[in-house]
Amino acid sequence: MVVVQRKELTLAERLYLPEVLRGLSLTFRKFFEKPITRQYPEEPLPTDEVTRGQPRLVVKDDGNIACVSCGMCEIACPAYAITIDGGETDRTIEREPKKFEIDMLRCILCGFCEEACPKDAIFMSNELELADYTRAGLVYDMEKLKRPKSALQRRIDYIYKLNNRWRSKP
Amino acid sequence: MSAILFYVLAVVALLGAAGVILAKSPMGSVISLLGTFFALAVIYLLAGFQFLAAAQILVYAGAILVLFLFVIMLLNLGAMGSRFELSFAPLQSGRARLAAAIAMALALIGLVAAQRASLKALAEPAADAPALDSLRGIALELFGRYSLPFQAVSVLLLATMVAVIVLAKRQRAGEHGSGEGAQ
Amino acid sequence: MDGFNIKDVPEVVLWIAKIAIIFGGLVGTAALMSLAERKVSAWMQYRHGPNRVGPFGLLQPLADGIKFIFKEELIPEGANKFLFRLAPALAAIPAMMTIAVIPIGTVVIADQVIPFSIAQIDLGIMYMLALGGLSVYGAILGGWASNSKYSLLGGLRASAQMISYELTLILSILVVVALSGSLDLNTIVDAQREAGLWNVFTPFGFLAFVLFTIASFAETNRHPFDFAECEPELVGGFHTEYSAMRFALFFLGEYCAMTVMACLNTTLFFGGPSVPFWPEAPWFLGILAFLVKAGFFLFLFIWVRWTLPRFRFDQLMRLGWKVALPIALVNLLVVGAWVAFTTKGS
Repeated sequence: MVVVQRKELTLAERLYLPEVLRGLSLTFRKFFEKPITRQYPEEPLPTDEVTRGQPRLVVKDDGNIACVSCGMCEIACPAYAITIDGGETDRTIEREPKKFEIDMLRCILCGFCEEACPKDAIFMSNELELADYTRAGLVYDMEKLKRPKSALQRRIDYIYKLNNRWRSKP
Repeated sequence: MSAILFYVLAVVALLGAAGVILAKSPMGSVISLLGTFFALAVIYLLAGFQFLAAAQILVYAGAILVLFLFVIMLLNLGAMGSRFELSFAPLQSGRARLAAAIAMALALIGLVAAQRASLKALAEPAADAPALDSLRGIALELFGRYSLPFQAVSVLLLATMVAVIVLAKRQRAGEHGSGEGAQ
Repeated sequence: MDGFNIKDVPEVVLWIAKIAIIFGGLVGTAALMSLAERKVSAWMQYRHGPNRVGPFGLLQPLADGIKFIFKEELIPEGANKFLFRLAPALAAIPAMMTIAVIPIGTVVIADQVIPFSIAQIDLGIMYMLALGGLSVYGAILGGWASNSKYSLLGGLRASAQMISYELTLILSILVVVALSGSLDLNTIVDAQREAGLWNVFTPFGFLAFVLFTIASFAETNRHPFDFAECEPELVGGFHTEYSAMRFALFFLGEYCAMTVMACLNTTLFFGGPSVPFWPEAPWFLGILAFLVKAGFFLFLFIWVRWTLPRFRFDQLMRLGWKVALPIALVNLLVVGAWVAFTTKGS
């Protein structure tokens, strides 16, 4: 059996008012302290290269996307969020996606597509906000997914560094 | 102007008083009583008795009626309906009619007496009598000339209070004390 | 301003101006208090508080008001519709009316002194107490008419609490009345100014001040005595079933009652509009002093709310009846004896 030993209150404590004043002085001191809450939309959460945000398609410096619509990411995706329709192109890589959609409502931000991609065409960005008025609006097409390479550079470098750890040095 | 106001208020007070008896739910009675008290308070104001008006609101509406409400809420009166319906059942029995007639007669006598008394007071106001509408006057009367009756009334109230407590205690000590003695 | 004579202005115009300023000030204060409550609580908890609507969130009360007006009114099934509609008005109106007798100071226009309060009646305190006693009806009738157990319990608690603490409140006010010998708030202020000593700095006055402050917290249903609302136990207490503007009226009533209590505390114990150590201060400083003092007590209401946890109901009753009331009674008795034996004549 647990016996809780209650502290015998002193007279000042039983009078209650001194303790009230003590409490008031505490809250008054806290009154002047700096708020620690973040003003979210203006002050977004800090992200770094480890952050796995929504997947985005890399647009190379020449203005074309790197994707060759091989379908690896589509197969790797555990949530069946990716839909690719490939087609031919006049560029030297010969194939590119005619349709590349990611259903952001399905995407679980696991990063498997990033791992599966043989052409370094899809990377997890640091974009985390996801909102729209319709469900259809959250199925992102190619235009919404495209990001210039520079915007994803941190993540790309990080993935290279990660992969190089077990790649044999040439 | 004030005469019209007086008659309107008097009608309101009387209607409220009738509502107290005739309302089906106790809550309706209390609200009617509240209306009566307010009408009376405003009548006192019209007559120039500011202190009396304030005391009326403070004591009757602000304290006693709230206690009534309290008791009504504590008693389980859900079955009695919450709508304001009038019921003339209290006036159905012969005995009630007799009591009502006696009460009316007494009220009439009282009215006549009050009328005569007030006329007399108006006719020959005592030279040194302090004006009743001022606080000072009321205090002087209450704690001077009428101090004995005043104390007697307070003793009466105290006796009533003690009696109620004794009754309530006895009922609780008895076999099945229900909440009947709550008021 | 040459040749301006205040007697040329019709009295009605003065009245309307006073009512507009004081009443508008009261409602504006109540609205600002809803913002101040959230801001102060935020600052005490390392937060920012509302800052989206207008600069520093200053327009938040306006946004809240618009929201309240456009929300849907719901009346629960089985509710007594008449009383349900009446109760919010009964909660708000007495609280707003009591401001009428508070002497906020004097306005001097072209060497003419105008008392800055709506009514100067010699029974000011009686008037305040009478109307203050009515504010319980809003809670009790609203709670009963809602046909909900939470509301009923909230109303019951509100009424029990208000009856209990009204005694202490009145007795501690009576101490001031005995000290200054008048029920007129103006006379009470003048007595303090003439004595050069605010009532709070006299021994009886200080005790009465402490009791009055405690009782005023209980009377306005504020923390740590907010048993009428008591969110974790009673959802919202007596206004659980209320929505939209009727709910806003309860809210407004509570904040108006707080404002009036703060003004009354200022008037009774802190010399109202008198400026410390400077009896001949110009009139606008007097009004400023009043506003500062009343503002402090308004801040105290919020401050205490975000500091102390809520009492338990039996603790509240014990404090009211077994501690506060006896002390108030003895205090009044001693003051009465002191006044009787030290005052000469009549």
